Amino acid sequence: MGKYVCAVCGYVYDEEVTEKKFAKLADDFTCPVCMATKDAFELKKEVTKNDDIEEDLDELKELSFGQMSILCSNLAKGVEKQYKAEAAVLFHKLSSQFKEKAGVIKTEDILEVEALLQEDLAEYDEAKNIATKKGDRGALRALVWSEKVSKMVRSILNRYNKKGDSILDDTNIYVCEICGFIYIGNNLPKICPVCKVPSFKMTKVEG
Amino acid sequence: MKKYAIRDITKCTKDCLCLYVCPTGATDTENGQIDFEKCIGCGACSEACPSRAITMIPWNYPAEQTHSKLIIQKIHKLAESKANQERMLEGLPKKSPNFNRLAKAIAKSNRIMGEDLLRESGYLIPQGVETIKFLKKLLNSDYVGKNTEEIELLIQLLSPHNK
Repeated sequence: MGKYVCAVCGYVYDEEVTEKKFAKLADDFTCPVCMATKDAFELKKEVTKNDDIEEDLDELKELSFGQMSILCSNLAKGVEKQYKAEAAVLFHKLSSQFKEKAGVIKTEDILEVEALLQEDLAEYDEAKNIATKKGDRGALRALVWSEKVSKMVRSILNRYNKKGDSILDDTNIYVCEICGFIYIGNNLPKICPVCKVPSFKMTKVEG
Repeated sequence: MKKYAIRDITKCTKDCLCLYVCPTGATDTENGQIDFEKCIGCGACSEACPSRAITMIPWNYPAEQTHSKLIIQKIHKLAESKANQERMLEGLPKKSPNFNRLAKAIAKSNRIMGEDLLRESGYLIPQGVETIKFLKKLLNSDYVGKNTEEIELLIQLLSPHNK
């Protein structure tokens, strides 16, 4: 038993309901809704509707508390831009709760971070390739920015490895609020070198 | 697309041109905001404002771009790594002021990278289907304990307007 959908108006001829094969219908059969002719009907492809949602739920399960905290702090920023102050407060609160649940990872040396950073840097080429092939400009943009920023972080860690924390002697350190670019120095460029936002969006990090 | 006007009071320099052009008097308020009930979304105030303090906000947002599962998986993997790097940097012992600033800056950078990446995995628009799905799933989980009411409020605050 199949279902045939009118390509014009969406009316569904359900063989199970009518107990008559669509093919057996007279040639002059027309859609009872829009009067489209029999040849305007197409066999309905059974899309398993629930699968999509379940798949998405599975993906959500994979979000760790750390990621959920990050997701919520970003959503807070998103609603702030729409002047939804009340929603922003609630997203910030959720973000802090998830951050607390994630907790910190006890680490002895800042250079331990570099191992994860190197793994990230090995991922970008393939990820950008997929984004390009899928025509996903948004994802591609985010990947390009975070790859550049990750390389910046690696270069800062390399400098730190050689010179220790003297790299910050009498020097300010700024983070771009938009892309995460880190600037070490006292003469901020007019725009962020990675995302090109004006420098007032780059925040000085205090001790 | 139906819109309404919002005034950024940090930019408003009280030039009052919005008052001259508003056909309904929605811009003439005591609290500095535009009267939501009176605004018909014509955009005249926004065009007239010399300080560009008024933005037109859409009532409803169009559906956002969908992403392939493959790219979402890639993004999640990177975001997880950024989240863990932030947690590591925050789990370092405090040392010199210089060191602390460095660790803090890199932690912040990782958070911003993570935010930007996750945003592009379906959460660009807070009113989008993925965000609502995320919040509804939270409601059915034990993650949030007693915050059920707040999450319900969030869902309500993000639901489409019907003016």
